[in-house]
Amino acid sequence: MKGKRGNVEKHYYLMVLPGLVWLFLFSIVPMVGIVMAFQDYNPGLGIFGSEWIGLENFRYLMQLDDSKQVIINTLIISSGKIVLNLLVPLIFALLLNEVTQLQYKKLVQTIVYLPHFISWVIMASIVINIFGYRGAINTIRSWFGLEPRLFMADPSIFRQLVIGTDVWKSFGFNAVIFLAALTSINPNLYEAATIDGANRWQKTRYVTLPELRPTIVLLGVLGLGNILNAGFDQVYNLYNPLVYSTGDILDTWIYRLGLTNLQFSLATAAGLFKSVVSFVLITISYVLAYKFADYKIF
Amino acid sequence: MIKKLIAVVLVCMLALVSVACSSGSKTPSSDANENTSSNNESESTPSENGSSEGESSGDPAFMKFPKPVDVHIGMSVSPVDKTLPPGDSAQDNQYTRYLRENFNINVIVDWTAAEGENYNQKVSLAIASGDLPDGLVVNDRTYMVRAAKSGLLYDITDLFEKYASKQVKEIMASTQGRAMENASYNGRMVSLPNITVDTDGIYVMMIRKDWLDKLNLPVPKTLSDIEKTAKAFIENKMAGEHTIGIVGPDKNGRPYSTFLRSSNNRFGFDPVFQAMDAYPGYWLDDGTGKVVYGTLTENTKKTLELLARWYKEGIIDPELGTRDSSAEVVNANQAGIFFGPWWSIGYGNGDSFKNDPNANWQAYPVYSDDGKWNVRMKTVGTMYTLISKKASEDVAKAIIIMNNVLVRDEGIFDTSVAISWYPLRNVMAPADECEYEYKELWKILRGEADPEDYNIPGNPYKLMYSDAKAIKNVVKPADPNSEMLNVQDFDQTDFGKFQRFYSLLIGNRPYATITPDKKVYSVTYNQTETMERKWANLQKLEDEAILKIILGQEPISSFDEFVEKWKAQGGDEITAEVQAEYDKKNK
Repeated sequence: MKGKRGNVEKHYYLMVLPGLVWLFLFSIVPMVGIVMAFQDYNPGLGIFGSEWIGLENFRYLMQLDDSKQVIINTLIISSGKIVLNLLVPLIFALLLNEVTQLQYKKLVQTIVYLPHFISWVIMASIVINIFGYRGAINTIRSWFGLEPRLFMADPSIFRQLVIGTDVWKSFGFNAVIFLAALTSINPNLYEAATIDGANRWQKTRYVTLPELRPTIVLLGVLGLGNILNAGFDQVYNLYNPLVYSTGDILDTWIYRLGLTNLQFSLATAAGLFKSVVSFVLITISYVLAYKFADYKIF
Repeated sequence: MIKKLIAVVLVCMLALVSVACSSGSKTPSSDANENTSSNNESESTPSENGSSEGESSGDPAFMKFPKPVDVHIGMSVSPVDKTLPPGDSAQDNQYTRYLRENFNINVIVDWTAAEGENYNQKVSLAIASGDLPDGLVVNDRTYMVRAAKSGLLYDITDLFEKYASKQVKEIMASTQGRAMENASYNGRMVSLPNITVDTDGIYVMMIRKDWLDKLNLPVPKTLSDIEKTAKAFIENKMAGEHTIGIVGPDKNGRPYSTFLRSSNNRFGFDPVFQAMDAYPGYWLDDGTGKVVYGTLTENTKKTLELLARWYKEGIIDPELGTRDSSAEVVNANQAGIFFGPWWSIGYGNGDSFKNDPNANWQAYPVYSDDGKWNVRMKTVGTMYTLISKKASEDVAKAIIIMNNVLVRDEGIFDTSVAISWYPLRNVMAPADECEYEYKELWKILRGEADPEDYNIPGNPYKLMYSDAKAIKNVVKPADPNSEMLNVQDFDQTDFGKFQRFYSLLIGNRPYATITPDKKVYSVTYNQTETMERKWANLQKLEDEAILKIILGQEPISSFDEFVEKWKAQGGDEITAEVQAEYDKKNK
């Protein structure tokens, strides 16, 4: 029986093949480069000839004041993003779902969907302008007699700004998944609820949300995989030395180490460190998802 | 089974987050060498072209290879440049054809990247992978040292001796060996250095003279004068409601130049620091032979206190440090004062004149309270042409010859195509080129000299002749004896020439006509062993602390904490290294 199924599905294996080759070439093969983290890497000698220095790079990383701060920043920014990127699109999708006028619904959906496609390079300029000293926000503040504030230079609000703008940019896109899930809910359930006398809120609470639970958990688990990715493009284009204390994240830090300061080994060590921590976090989140939501990806 | 495989693969993929980082892009702040001698330089005539060729046959510095030699290069290109004629490319344009026809050098462009941050990234990756093209120009000595240390570079000590032209050697010699020292690693010459004009590192005050005249104010000389003037500009709303008194660095800029980037720091506060006898970012001899880092001195602290007060009182741009581009403010004519090197007015603010042809920008030194003009001096140059170790001897020769040709013939190329398309272009100019041209151009304007006097083949002042021919069409001084030109004395029809002469005759006027009272050099302009590892961290600490004090986010008392931290996190160790090097040199 099993063997027969295997035969039947042969063409599926074939279809997976290009993807696996791609994965092997671009994700597995480069992993050899990880050895750089344990070497004093010398490009002239390459990764097979460079001197081995054991954990020296990691030891130095841990000595740096920066590394702790950078990890904290990364965790705060990315967890804020994960939570809000789940909640805001969900609420938005639920609200939009209640809109009955189809054309209006389509219009709103398209408009909020658009910012997702603008690169952070451009988006950052827009954000800097909006929050600039003479930008829209400060103009509004001035109507209420408030002094203009230099938002982009203020470490105490930089994280909120990063999280907020990211959510603003992507909630329309993320809402699409929820909207799709909403359409797949069996209408019978709603009809039954109506007969039982449920109002709109009760329908949302007792029908929609439970039906959406697998989707929410799935997105949450997938999001946790990015717990140490706080968004290089975004932060790199928005930050400046004044907000390093709260805005510098692992990726920007590794970038400066590796590409600006040519500390290849140190940057690799930091990258590897990040990967290991991510791996642990993903494993934990996976176990949690299974435990609390009875959800398994593999 | 397949599920398991996918699981394994997925896990691996997740684990490998980022060994190397993804790319991002930033607008490069205006590149100096682009500005100092880029477009619009001179006109070529075919006859000159021919003659210079004829002269050089037999000279190994300009020899034609018997067989075509392929030179592979990486190239930085300007994304906004539109000067290449249709059909031409980085690999096939007037410059590469010139090299192919006259020298049998066949340039092959392996890759290009947008100038600035993108290009640096690409260079960094090329070094990291140990895979350099035959020739490559890098913007920072750190790259050169890194590549040399890894044994990726061709030792050109002997080839340079044999194949560099007399002109190139003369320019190298004019730096008293500093250029050669910079281009060498462990005593061997491993790169071709660029040599730029001294005045690229002389920072002066740029001010709207027409605003001063309107308000009937004198030209400010000292810091307290500047303070009053900037206040007057703001109070009188010279550019409307949002007039900016003094422009500061933008988010890619620096509040002052440093020993690693000692030139072309536009919109910094260098003249303010210098007027307080402070030289942050430089390694100084405290007078007794002891090395101190300039940022840590008492004078720097005092200057920061002053800047913080200026910022608080709104004299300095409130968006200092976060602005996307400070040049925009200047070009939009919203500001009255900024600081920068000679090319910041003219080359650097072309749009300012396009928006207001009567914007009378003038350049003046900033004096200390006791009337002294202190300046910091830059290093010879910061760019290097690298030649890969894997290149053949002929290719290495070809690259040296390409450099000879650029130095000799830059003045005769058709400049409707930007000179930045010249493969492996790396500027070599005598250190006093701008001052020399200033004096000679004035001789022509006063009628004391004739343009033809400068028709000297092989002149190291390579743009002199073409400038001499053009000057009278562009500059028409109201009073040829005063040397105080105003914007109205210029004809802006040939805008490129206008920009060049504006920079040369007004931006460069302070350094060309006034001798500074004190010239301060950094004890070193290069990184030491420990710096390679720890400097980035210290630099970050410094940038953050200084900006926060200026913006008033931290009180001035935090300066002492910063000093303590800086010393503890490797600063003391590095100071000792610099001291040791300095002692060795002085022995």
